[in-house]
Amino acid sequence: MRKHLRTAPVLLTLLALLAGACGGATATTSPSGPFRVAVVMPSATTDMAYSQSMFQAMKAVQAEMGGESALEFAWSEGMFNVPDAAAAMRDYATQGYDLVIAHGSQYGASVQEVAPDFPDTSFAWGTNVDTFGMPNVFAYTAAAEEGGYVNGVMAAMLTQSKIIGITGPVEVGDAKTYIDGFRNGVAATDPSITINATWTGSFSDVALMTEAANTHIAAGADILTGSSQSVVGSIGAAKDKGGVLWFGTQADQATLAPELVVASQVYDWVGVVKDMIAKHQAGTLGGEVFTLRLSNDGLKIAYGTGYSLPADVRSAAEAAIAGIKDGSIKPLP
Amino acid sequence: MAELFTLPVLLGIAFSGIRLATPYLYAALGETFAQRSGVLNLGVDGIMLMGAFSAFFVALNTGSLWLGLAAAAVVGLLMGLLMALVSITFKAEQGISGIGLYMFGLGLSSLLFRTTVGTVKTISGFQPVKLPLLGDLPILGDIFFRHSLLVYGAFLAVPLAWFILERTTWGLKIRAVGQQPAAADSLGVNVTAVRYACTGLGGVLAGIAGASLSIALTNLFQENLTSGQGFIAVALVYFGGWRPLGVLGGALLFSFVNAFQLWMQVLVPEMEADIAVMLPYLLTIAALAVAVNRTRQPAALAKPFERGEA
Amino acid sequence: MPTLTTASSPAPGLTPAPASAIARRVAIQRVAMRGIVKRFPGVLANAGVDFDVNAGEVHALLGENGAGKSTLMRQLYGLYPPDAGEILIDGQPHTFHSPADAIRAGIGMIHQHFMLVPTLTVAENVALGLRSSREPQMDLKVVAARLNTLAEAYGLKVDPGAYIWQLAVGEQQRVEILKALYRGASLIILDEPTAVLTPQEVDGLFATLRRMAGEGHALIFISHKLHEVLAISQRVTVLRDGHVVGERAAGSVGRQELAQLMVGREVKALPAQAVQTGGVRLALEGVRAQGDRGTEGLRGVSLAIHAGEVLGLAGVSGNGQRELAECLAGLRRVSAGRVLLGGRDVTHASPRERLLAGQAYIPEERMRDGAIKNFSVLENLFLHDHAAPNYARWGVLNTNAMRARAAALVQRFNVKTPGLETPLKNLSGGNIQKLILARELSRQPRVLIAAQPTRGVDIGATEYIHQQLLAQRAAGTAILLISEDLDEILALSDRIAVIYEGAIMAVLPRGQATPAALGLLMAGVHGHEAG
Repeated sequence: MRKHLRTAPVLLTLLALLAGACGGATATTSPSGPFRVAVVMPSATTDMAYSQSMFQAMKAVQAEMGGESALEFAWSEGMFNVPDAAAAMRDYATQGYDLVIAHGSQYGASVQEVAPDFPDTSFAWGTNVDTFGMPNVFAYTAAAEEGGYVNGVMAAMLTQSKIIGITGPVEVGDAKTYIDGFRNGVAATDPSITINATWTGSFSDVALMTEAANTHIAAGADILTGSSQSVVGSIGAAKDKGGVLWFGTQADQATLAPELVVASQVYDWVGVVKDMIAKHQAGTLGGEVFTLRLSNDGLKIAYGTGYSLPADVRSAAEAAIAGIKDGSIKPLP
Repeated sequence: MAELFTLPVLLGIAFSGIRLATPYLYAALGETFAQRSGVLNLGVDGIMLMGAFSAFFVALNTGSLWLGLAAAAVVGLLMGLLMALVSITFKAEQGISGIGLYMFGLGLSSLLFRTTVGTVKTISGFQPVKLPLLGDLPILGDIFFRHSLLVYGAFLAVPLAWFILERTTWGLKIRAVGQQPAAADSLGVNVTAVRYACTGLGGVLAGIAGASLSIALTNLFQENLTSGQGFIAVALVYFGGWRPLGVLGGALLFSFVNAFQLWMQVLVPEMEADIAVMLPYLLTIAALAVAVNRTRQPAALAKPFERGEA
Repeated sequence: MPTLTTASSPAPGLTPAPASAIARRVAIQRVAMRGIVKRFPGVLANAGVDFDVNAGEVHALLGENGAGKSTLMRQLYGLYPPDAGEILIDGQPHTFHSPADAIRAGIGMIHQHFMLVPTLTVAENVALGLRSSREPQMDLKVVAARLNTLAEAYGLKVDPGAYIWQLAVGEQQRVEILKALYRGASLIILDEPTAVLTPQEVDGLFATLRRMAGEGHALIFISHKLHEVLAISQRVTVLRDGHVVGERAAGSVGRQELAQLMVGREVKALPAQAVQTGGVRLALEGVRAQGDRGTEGLRGVSLAIHAGEVLGLAGVSGNGQRELAECLAGLRRVSAGRVLLGGRDVTHASPRERLLAGQAYIPEERMRDGAIKNFSVLENLFLHDHAAPNYARWGVLNTNAMRARAAALVQRFNVKTPGLETPLKNLSGGNIQKLILARELSRQPRVLIAAQPTRGVDIGATEYIHQQLLAQRAAGTAILLISEDLDEILALSDRIAVIYEGAIMAVLPRGQATPAALGLLMAGVHGHEAG
C-alpha cells in the first residue's frame, strides 16, 4: 500500500504526459536530402485562425515542392508557454533543421537568444518587423489593417442597427492593426456607425468570449468581428441568435457558420515561406522582413460561401481592395 | 457611467451572469460533495474538459444532445472514481493526484479532439426554453426564465444539494465522514463507500459542467475549452464555506461581475479594458480574503482515513 | 517477575476469588474472549488474553498504558480482528469485521477520545448511521424524543439540539453513552471514561453506570486509576504487557495489591519534602490571549511562581491550559498583560530568548512541539544546543562531542533506546518524554514549564518523571506543572491554582486542596457558592 501511495499520482501524470505527447510534435530526422523546416506555434493547428494559417501554408508549400522527400516539416503546437517554445527552437536547431519558424510575436526574445548559437540555421519570427540586426533572422508580418479596412467597408454597408461589435482577447499585434483598419473602413463609409469593442484578456476563455458576443448583440450590434484564436466562441453566439453577421480574419472561418460569415481576411504564408526557403538555399540566411499584403497576394479576402453578398457591397469591397493595392487608400492614416 | 445603470443593461448583466454561472455551479456543487466527505479533488477542470469533449463528440455524431449529456455524466463518473481510487484506496496525496487528474483530462481531451474531430466545429446546442407563465413575467421572466434546460438544472441543483446534505441520512453520513471519519466508522458507517460515492457524484457534476459549456453555452469544443474554470470552481467551494447556498452566492458574484465588466467595456469605452478584465478576479480575491471562514472547512479534508488511528 | 502474580485467568467456574464465585454461577455471561492474540509490528499487544463479563456487572480492566487494554477492547468492538482466539457473545462465537457487526451484536463503546462529530448536533450524532423512520430524510424530532426519554431514565441530561462543540467534556461523554444506549447496546465498553472529568462529574458518571448495571447492562470499565476501579466495579482484571496477570473480586483486593499487579513490582509513595521557596522567578500579570476557536482563551491570568516551588495548575481540559503554556513558551501572542521572567519583561520575547533566560519547556504535544519524530535520538537531544560553542565551530557540528554528551544524557535519564541514531518515532511515549526531560533539565533551568508531563506515559516512567521534577524543585527551580490529572497535581504541587474558562478561580495551598474543593473550582463554582 505504501508503495502505491507514491506511484499513483506519478502514474497519472505520466498518462497525462503520454496523452499530450501523442498529439505533439511529429519530428522525424533523416540524414540529408530534403529541406527541413520546423514551426513552433502558440495555439493548436486547428485553431481556425493564426496557427492554422501557418500550418496550412506549410502543407501547401510541401505539396508544391514535391512532398516529404523535398520538404521535411516538423511542428510543435500549443506552445503558450514561451520558455517551452524557446527550448523547442533550440532542439530543432540542434537537430539540424535549416529553417526554424517561431510563429508568434511573443517569441522575439527567444529567437534573439537562440539564433546566435546556430549561425548556419535560419530563424524566422512573426508577426513583427525586427530582425535584431542578426544575419540569420527573418521577420514576417501581416498588414492586417488592409483586410480590416475592406471588411469595415462591407460591414458599414450591411449594418441595419448602425451598431457593430468587436471581440478580442488582448489589444496587441495584428489583432490591433486589424481592428484599427476595420474602424477606419467603417468610418470612411458611414461615420455615424457606433463601434463597441470588448477584450476578454484571455486567449483561451471561450465561454467569456461567447458571453462578450452575447453582450454586443444585447447592446444592439447586428454585425460582429474580431481576431484571435477564441473567436470561434463569438461565432457560436452569433449563430445562435440569428440575423447577426460575422467578419473573420487570419483564416477562412466560413465553415463554422457558412450562412453568417460574410467574408474573411485570409493570411496566406505560402509566398513568404517559399521566399525564405529560396533565400536560404541561395545563401542568405536572414536579415530581411516580409509583409503579407493584398498587393503581394499574402492577404486575400475570402467571401463567404453560404451568404449571398449584395452586388453593390461586393463592388465596394473590390474597389477598396484596388485602392489599397494602388496606394490611393491608406487603411491606417 | 450612468448608462450602465439603465434597466436594459441591468437586465443584460443579470441574464449573462446567470448563463456564465452555470458551469461553475455544477462543478462547484459537485466539488462541495467531494470536499464535505473529506476528498479534495483538484482535478475538476480535467473532468470538465473530458465531459465537455464527450458531450460535444456524442452530440456531433448522434445528433442527440441528451445522449451527449449522458456521455458527459458517465465519463465524469469514471474520472471521479479514478480520483477516488487513487486518493481513497491508494491514499495518495490528494493535492498532487488532483493535479495529475487535471493534466490527464487536459491531455486526453486534446488528443481525442485532434484525432476524432480535428478542427473546430460548432453544433446546435440546448436552446433557451421560455418557461410557461413564468417566462412571461415582466423583467423577471427575461432574466430568469428564458434559459436552456442545463441552466435551469444548475440552479435547481442548489436546493437539491442543500437538501441532501442537511436533511437526509446520507447527507448526515457525508458530513460526519468529512469531519470525523473515525466517529462515523465507530458507528458502522462505511467511510470508504461514502467517499467513493461523493467523489463519483462530484465527477458526474463536473462532467455535466463541461457539457454545459460545450453543448449549451458555447456550442463547440476546442482544446482547453474550460481555461481553468474548474479551478475557479474549487475556489468557489472555499468561498461558499462548503455550503451549496454559499457556492451559489460565489458563482453569481463572480459571474455577475464578469458580465458587468463586459457591459462596461461596451458602454464606457474610455475605461481601459485591462482594468475591466481584472475586476472579477480582484473582487474574488477581496471576497475570499474577507468571507472565507476556515472553521467551516471539513476537518478531515484531504486526509486519508485509516481505521484505528485515532 | 514477582511471584504474587497469577497466571492467565482460568476457565469459567474455576474462579480464583471465592467471594465472586457464587455471584458468577448465577450470572449470565454476556461476552467471553478466549485466548485473544494480537500482534502489531514489533509488539505483542495481547498474548492470549481471556476475559469475560456478565450481565448486570461492572468488570474493570486495569493496566498501565501499553498493557493492551484498549487493543483488547477494540477487537471486541470490531475495529480490528484478533490474530488468534475467539469471541463468544451469549455463548455463540462471533467474528466482527467492523464496528457495524459489533453494534448489531449489542456492543457499544465509549472511546477515550470521543467519537463525536463536533460540527453536528447531539441528535445528529446519535442518528448517524441509523435508518430513519422516513428515509431518505432524517427524523431528528423522533430521535430527540427518544433521546429525552433515555436521558431521563439514566440521568444523562443533554440538549438534543445542541452542537457537540458547544458542550463541556462531561456532557459530551453523556452523549457518547446515550449513543450506545440508543442503539440498544447491552454491553458497553468505557475506555478511560474518567480521565477528562472533574471529581463531581465522576460521581455522576458512576451513578449512571450503577443504574445501567442494575438494569442488567454488562459494563467494561477501563482505567489505570485504582480508587475508581475499586469504587465502581465488582471484578477487576489486570493486564500487563499483553498478559492477564490477575483477576480479583473488587471487594477483596486492596489498592496496594492491584498496583503491584499492574506495575510488576512494589510502588513507592513519593516522600514528602520540606518546602524551601525563594523569590518570584516567573510572574504573570493579567495575561490575555486569543484561543484556538477565535474566542478569548486567556482572560487575565495572574500567577507568581517562586524558586523551589511547584505550582500546580489544575483544570478540566480545554479551559486555557494550552494557551497559557504556549504564551509562556513564546508560541502564542499575548494580547494584554505582562510576563516577567526573573524580573525581566519577556511578554513578547521569542522562544529562544526565553530559553537563554533560563526557562525550559516540556510541551503538551510532545510529538508536535517537543521533538521531531524522524530525527534521531541524538539530533533531538541537540535541538536547542546545536550552535553552542562546545558542539559547533563555524556552524559545523562537532559530532564526537555531541555523541559523548548524548550518551551521557541517555544513561542519566534512563532513556531506553537501541542507539543514538534510532529515529525518535521508534521509542515509546515514556522514553520520548524522558528524552525531552533530559534535554530540558540538563540545561539547569531556573524556570520549568511542564505541560501534561506524564500524559500517555506508563507508571514506571511517570514515577521517574515525578522524581526528576521534585529533584528540580529541590535544586531551586520554579516549576509550573500544568496537568489534567488531579492525582498528579496533588502529589507534586506546593500550591494549586485552578483554571476555568481562561481565568484563575483560586490558588490554594496544598493543605486546603481536597479533591472535592478542587473539583468544584474546576467546574467553575466558587467556594462560597457551593456552601
